[in-house]
Amino acid sequence: MDGAKVTPGRTAGLYAGAAVLRLAIFTLFPGIPDLLTGRVEISTPVTSFKRLQEGLFLYNHNVSPYDGGVYHQAPLFLPLFSLLPSSASLPIFTYLLYIAVDLLSASALWRIADSGESGSSALFTSPRREKRWSGFVIAALFLLNPFTVATCIGRSTSVFTTCAILHAVAKAVSGAPFGAMVALSFASYLSMYPLLLLPPLVLLCYDRQRSGRATKSMLQFAGTCTATVAGVLSVLFQLSYLLTGSWEFLPSTYGVQLTLSDLAPNVGLWWYFFIEMFDSFRSFFLAVFWLHLSSYVAGLTVRIRRQPLVVLTLLLGIFNIFKPYPSISDTSLFLALVPLYRHVFPLMRYTFVSAAVVLYASCLGPAFYYLWIYAGSGNANFFYAITLVWGLGLSLLVCDLMFAVLRDEWEVERPEMAGKEIRQI
Amino acid sequence: MSIQQPADNGTADSQPSATSPGTVTANNNETPKLKTAPPEKPSDIRRRSHIILSFWLIVLCLGLPIWWKTTTIYRADLPLQEMLDWADGKACRPVFPLRISIQANTLQDQEAQNLLRLTQHALDDLNDFSGHHLRLQLAPPMAAENHDRESVLTIRLLPGETTTATFDQYEPVLDITYPPNAIPSPTSSSSSLATYIAGQLRSTFAEEQATISYLLSTNSIPSDHRPQGLSPDVAESLSKRTTRSLKYAPTYHLTFSLFTSGPLPSSWDIEEAIAEYMKPVLDVLSPIHNFTIDTQVQLYATPGVQNQVLNKEDLSSFINAAEWPLSPSIGGAPTINFIVFVGNQTIASPSQSPGEGAIPGSTSHSWLIPQWGTIYLLPLPHDKTHVDSSALKQPLLTFTSHLLSFTGAPQSGSLPLRLSTLARIRSADLLLRASSTLGSLARLALALPSISIPSSVADGVSKTIRHLRLACETLGGPEGLAHARIAEAEAERAFFEKSMVGQLYFPDEHKVAVYLPLLGPVAVPLVMGLLNELKAWRKRRREAAEAGAGKKKE
Repeated sequence: MDGAKVTPGRTAGLYAGAAVLRLAIFTLFPGIPDLLTGRVEISTPVTSFKRLQEGLFLYNHNVSPYDGGVYHQAPLFLPLFSLLPSSASLPIFTYLLYIAVDLLSASALWRIADSGESGSSALFTSPRREKRWSGFVIAALFLLNPFTVATCIGRSTSVFTTCAILHAVAKAVSGAPFGAMVALSFASYLSMYPLLLLPPLVLLCYDRQRSGRATKSMLQFAGTCTATVAGVLSVLFQLSYLLTGSWEFLPSTYGVQLTLSDLAPNVGLWWYFFIEMFDSFRSFFLAVFWLHLSSYVAGLTVRIRRQPLVVLTLLLGIFNIFKPYPSISDTSLFLALVPLYRHVFPLMRYTFVSAAVVLYASCLGPAFYYLWIYAGSGNANFFYAITLVWGLGLSLLVCDLMFAVLRDEWEVERPEMAGKEIRQI
Repeated sequence: MSIQQPADNGTADSQPSATSPGTVTANNNETPKLKTAPPEKPSDIRRRSHIILSFWLIVLCLGLPIWWKTTTIYRADLPLQEMLDWADGKACRPVFPLRISIQANTLQDQEAQNLLRLTQHALDDLNDFSGHHLRLQLAPPMAAENHDRESVLTIRLLPGETTTATFDQYEPVLDITYPPNAIPSPTSSSSSLATYIAGQLRSTFAEEQATISYLLSTNSIPSDHRPQGLSPDVAESLSKRTTRSLKYAPTYHLTFSLFTSGPLPSSWDIEEAIAEYMKPVLDVLSPIHNFTIDTQVQLYATPGVQNQVLNKEDLSSFINAAEWPLSPSIGGAPTINFIVFVGNQTIASPSQSPGEGAIPGSTSHSWLIPQWGTIYLLPLPHDKTHVDSSALKQPLLTFTSHLLSFTGAPQSGSLPLRLSTLARIRSADLLLRASSTLGSLARLALALPSISIPSSVADGVSKTIRHLRLACETLGGPEGLAHARIAEAEAERAFFEKSMVGQLYFPDEHKVAVYLPLLGPVAVPLVMGLLNELKAWRKRRREAAEAGAGKKKE
């Protein structure tokens, strides 16, 4: 597959194939979209399509969509979805929208892969970069990943965030800092946590500036980028304010993520912890969890300064494990970026273990959830235990990838050590 | 934190080492630093310090302030000493000054004054309880008919044949007739009429006095304010009465139920009967309690006991708790059940079985279940489909008199007097209850230094104390009761504050269990990283100093 020539026909074939696959599931199995929409692994309180419908209904009846405390998503989804025909009577338009978003994400991913940023960044060139997968393969891996397909069928609104993040990275690697910042602002507006990706993304943009109009000063560049993000975000907030008529959406969307007021179970690690938490310590541990999530940004950005795309990938992996309302949609985003590092795969040590653990958890997770909720023969600990395993598998993958990338860097400095075994000290 | 390990690891790995290929170990990580000075090394070291610094900056700049802010326990200032004073009875000495006016329109002013003085003397001699004293005053002769609102009792002195005393049915008025020769002469130091009046007054208020002193004695009021010599049998009867009456609540719910053993009767004029026979009493009780009322009819109700003649033992199991829809309490207010049972059962006459559960006033048709309600057996012809209000007269009058004993009203005296006594007893009771709640709250706040005290509790306490003070000043009057009611409600609310109750049983050791499982593992790499970094930094400095010294020597 490596280096195969990609003709326009093959590109169209991949996209068409992915679209047909999704459309076929949507139309041939009409029960599946609603089934997947109800799954906790796909729909979290902040991304659920069902809750979006509720918000949409309230919005179309001139009631504040946040009344009732069900809808926790960004207000700009509402005009977008109210433009479409109702998903109850004419669901095909909704399906087409979600398929289009997936294809857009894939095309962004394709551009990232083709840029070769993963193999050779501005400050670092891997000696193994020749061994890589083409954009076609990487886009195919993303589009045909069961997690991506399930997220698309489940119509979780996190696909919009995924798309925005991938476009931000794609813009950054193609030397368009402004576009990257705008895309990141959209992602942050939709889900808040992508804001933490700002430092590595700024570095990526800085490294990939077009030579013609490069800004020399790093601080100036970062300042401009931050101002852009702040500007776009404030415009989006203003728009939302005009749309809903109040600032109520801020506590209802971002406040819910910050305070975890909806304790519906999901594949993450937060919900069980905060069910058990003493009320008087709740706010403290919320702060601890959020600080823990954000503390990685600075450390990783400093450590792997030479490959900002690695930092972005690893951070997405970490967020996928530790964010308040994760779903398999976040996993699919992380797994979309991992194949970019095909060249360091030989350096990874636990690929089999982490792959096995992730597969094991994704098979047993729904089963344990069924035992708990429907059969009543298990309890919440069953499901929480399997989400712990899931988190373990993913963190193993993140660590392994990080190890491989660092080892790759180290071998450039110490060519004589290539291929030798090393020991942790 | 799991990924920090590899990050540190990688930092160490990337350090150039000149040792033999194959392994990089902790030892030869240090040795190459001495041997070679690779050009990347300073930047690597700086980078590692930056990483460690970035983590510690987050911990120190964000973590610590957040920890401080979110886990500090808010303790509103409570006037602890004052609260304890209230509980110990030091802040308020319950005094019931009862003013009694004497109307003696037929007497000369001076004669009346003299009689008043003598009676007051006689009263003071009889009285041994300083908290409860009767003050006599002469009513202005003009106010002949409507008695003074300030005074609790008016004595009307009327000339007559013999010395008699009768209570007015509707007004707190005691009519005393005296023979013409009973008027004391201005010089005499004693008078049989004065002694008689004093004796009457004393017996009138004896029950109230006993009740109040019983209340005080069961609370932690210092003994010097307490009356001595509450005889054991009086105390026993009082405690019996206290167990019979319900705990004070601002609202009582009255449930009137008609249970019939067969299909008939199926309707009753209960609303009319209540309005006619019970409403007047409810109205006069309204300053003390609110009442809500509901009624129900239940056909084919089987009692718990099927005997034709009910013995004393049967009475307690007569209620068919499993089948009769008698809910224990509706809307939070305590419920008093009044049941009219239409059937052919009768109660064995008291001579056969002297029932202790039945109060002396109960007829052979009814009995009272302490703190629960009353059952009235109503015999009716079998074909009667409707119970009209005249048939309900006797049951409702029984219920009314039982209601008074449920509310804790005294047994003797005329109704107006009993009600005003009830108001005074209740204000004393509420005052004492609120004070002791304050004391408990103060002791709780002292005993648990880690309990949080929200500002709403402090508000409640200050409100309670303010109303207690007002109640103490106006004790005996209607405002006193109102203030005592507010004070008691506020004190209960402050004591049972929800956010405090949760922390009642949260010892400090639990904090270790809360913090350690999560923060411990996070802290280990952070602290170890910092320590290693500091050690390496000290070593570098020493080496630099040695190198500088070596150069100087050369």
